[in-house]
Amino acid sequence: MHFLTPAAFGFALAMLAVILLYLLKRKRLVHLVPSTVLWRRYLAETRASAPFQRLRNSWILWLQLAWLALAVLALARPFRAAPTDQGRLLVMILDASASMQCRDEAPSRFEAARAQLGQWINSLQGSDQMVLIQAAAATEVRQSRTSDKGALRRALAGCETTDGPTRLAEAVKLADTLSKEQALAEIHLFSDGAAPDLQDVTLKTPQLAYHRVGRQGRNAGIVSVDVRAHPENPAERAVFVGVANFDTNEIKAELELRFEERLIGVKPLSLGPRETRPQVLLAPQDRDGVFTVRLNTEDDLAVDNQAWVWSPLPKPTRVLLVTKGNRFLSRALEAAPLVELTETADYGDGAGRFDVAVFDKVSPAAWPAGGILAFQAAGPDWFTNATTLEQPVIVDWNAAHPLLRFVSFDAVQVARSRAVPMPDWAVSLVEAPRASLILAGQRQQQRIIWVGFDILESTWPLRVSFPIFIANAVEWLSPASSQAGQFMVRTGSPLRLPAPRDLEGQAAAWTVIRPDGSRAVVPAEPGRAERFFGGTTRQGLYRVEAGGSRETYCVNLLDAPESDVTPRFELQVGKSAAAAVPPARLANLEGWRWIAAVGLGVLLFEWWFYHRRTA
Amino acid sequence: MANALLAPDLLRRLEAFELAAPRRSRGFARGERRSRARGHSVEFADYRDYAPGDDFRYLDWNLYGRLERLFLKLYEEERELPVTIALDASESMAFGEPRKFDFARRVAAAVGYVALCGFDRLRLSAFPDRPENQEAARGLRRVRGRASAPSFLAQMALLEAGGPADLSGALRRIALETRQPGLAVVISDFLDPAGYESGLKALWGRGFQVSAVQVLAPEEWAPAAAGDLRVVDCETGQAEEVTFGRYRLAAYQRVVRDYCDRLAAWCRRQGSPCFLARSDAPLEDLLLKKLRQAGIWG
Repeated sequence: MHFLTPAAFGFALAMLAVILLYLLKRKRLVHLVPSTVLWRRYLAETRASAPFQRLRNSWILWLQLAWLALAVLALARPFRAAPTDQGRLLVMILDASASMQCRDEAPSRFEAARAQLGQWINSLQGSDQMVLIQAAAATEVRQSRTSDKGALRRALAGCETTDGPTRLAEAVKLADTLSKEQALAEIHLFSDGAAPDLQDVTLKTPQLAYHRVGRQGRNAGIVSVDVRAHPENPAERAVFVGVANFDTNEIKAELELRFEERLIGVKPLSLGPRETRPQVLLAPQDRDGVFTVRLNTEDDLAVDNQAWVWSPLPKPTRVLLVTKGNRFLSRALEAAPLVELTETADYGDGAGRFDVAVFDKVSPAAWPAGGILAFQAAGPDWFTNATTLEQPVIVDWNAAHPLLRFVSFDAVQVARSRAVPMPDWAVSLVEAPRASLILAGQRQQQRIIWVGFDILESTWPLRVSFPIFIANAVEWLSPASSQAGQFMVRTGSPLRLPAPRDLEGQAAAWTVIRPDGSRAVVPAEPGRAERFFGGTTRQGLYRVEAGGSRETYCVNLLDAPESDVTPRFELQVGKSAAAAVPPARLANLEGWRWIAAVGLGVLLFEWWFYHRRTA
Repeated sequence: MANALLAPDLLRRLEAFELAAPRRSRGFARGERRSRARGHSVEFADYRDYAPGDDFRYLDWNLYGRLERLFLKLYEEERELPVTIALDASESMAFGEPRKFDFARRVAAAVGYVALCGFDRLRLSAFPDRPENQEAARGLRRVRGRASAPSFLAQMALLEAGGPADLSGALRRIALETRQPGLAVVISDFLDPAGYESGLKALWGRGFQVSAVQVLAPEEWAPAAAGDLRVVDCETGQAEEVTFGRYRLAAYQRVVRDYCDRLAAWCRRQGSPCFLARSDAPLEDLLLKKLRQAGIWG
């Protein structure tokens, strides 16, 4: 025999209570009488001097114990395996993203959803089964298919919110996969609907019920943050902050900037309904450190009211120019800010100590480790099968790319250019009708810019856009720029931890100190110098210690759809399927436990009343 | 004050009674009771031979005429009947509603009044001896004659109950102190933990004609308290733990009845009447019916 709720055997302790009540003598009321002569003759049977009396054999006691044993057995819900009809499969998806921390529901949307889900677990019937999935930045199956309500309740109690964005598509696809072979399958989504990624999902399961939590969307938050050198004052840093109001009413707030917890300034803000406004905060900086931006306002979601950004001091970029003579290129590199230029015609010694290597019509035997700007160069790993285009016409360029900021290719003619197949790691910056003339991308942590034509065979060096492009390229290729994104990641995304430069640090244990002070050791991956840490469920500063080196990583939400906490009354799943909020459905909530509990109370009352009656 | 104990109408009706003494009086003083002594009365008792010096007035001249011998006529001497009332005035008698002691005191007053009206010598002994009762006890130690009745009743009203009882000890002391045993009426609840047997035996042994009146309160017949009780003896402080309720009342009352029956049977074996009275019972019913039917007085 098996039991659905074996924990109910704990009620068997009530038997001890019954026996104890039989043993325990009751507190006596003092009563003054003329004489105890008459009483003494009557007292022989009830006389006792100890608090407990001898347990006498009483059929009422045995009846009570038998009744109690049966009640406890019933509470444990015994069952046996027997063929029966196939029940429903309920796949429950619990949204645990940052927006579920919204306090418009008491105490939070997540707890309200958890309570709803708890009622569904209570209403689970005999052959029904349930799967519990927690969806946030990562999807996690908290409880596989089971009918065990206790296991489901424990799994539900173990769910907790994260500071990450919502990624419901993966959870819905997983739920769809789990339920596609089940005849009676339902997918229930407990969320506030802040899930922009569901439109690409195609469901095979016909029933997807959306249980909305949340009532209003009063929230303002920080949706972007960046720090750059001040263009006019090199001693200052400019912190760019994007602040958005997702409420339909105006919100007044204060934007606070701190550097290493030292208050720099406070800027009052008044954001109109659903307005996003960029803000620039200037701050002096004398050392490497973390800027903290905090939005002080009374809204329902606190997690997006602060952000951190790591800001190292600008350092000169060491540039190696390998050319057989290109005055335009040399001058443009020299004109770029914070550049230490070294020019050589022979690349025999390698470029190990340089941050950026510029190859002008020179193809090295092995590419250096730093950033690469290559003009008509071919290497051992890429661009080996190049063809030649004669007089390609520039038809378009990607002006949104940081490399082409303030760069225009109007009136730039090129005599000839090499054309290469587009690699998967690069994007096209400048395009001719049949090929890309300039490519840029990141390949295994190495930033590469490839220019297919010789600038001396074009009019580009004569245009003002050329030195600007070179300056942008040096900045983009410099380690500070390339690693800036590495030190600031979104909540839920893994931290990419590069190998420390010293061997001692590489050999030591790598430890991540979370924002709450807890530590986690990051194991090494075989064959890779860098390591990854995926437990970024909470935003804040993550300190990484490896031997003597210590790095700071900023984990921020910075997700506008997540900060938009307006509850969605309807979810668009796929192109046509819409999951509306289901009407209130009557669930068969079991009430026999309460009846059994009342039965226990009646039993105890019977004991008390019996003794009172016979007293 | 007398009216506080006994109503005038009841007193008038009690005046018609006379305490019944089955045995002849052993008193010394003259009274109205027949005795074994020979003296001067109207009741002829016997003849004896004339002896020189005898009073010629008691010679039976008719008998001399027939027999020519001088015989002296003897008459019975009428003497007083010593009546002793032992009244339990212990703490336990102060219980009950109405109080057992109030009832017992009225019974004692009635018996005493009847004795005084019959020119019997009355002694009322309230025990235990307490300083509060000493003055009243002095006035009750030796009373005689109807004229003393108001004073007797007034002194009775001054008595108060209190202190631990020693029923047997008190009765033994009465037996030892009395020179002329007579009629003894013991009024008590007879609930002394030390028992009552030795005291009553001492009275019987001294030659008293004992009558026992047991007074119990209604609460002792049917206790109102119920549940888990710790009953404490008001005199000794002795405590007993008991579980009681109305469903156990019958068993309790059986115990009480057995106790009272045992006392009555024990007294009957000694030829002494014993009466059981509740303190809320009508006093007239006890005095005018039960005591008379039992031959205490007539």
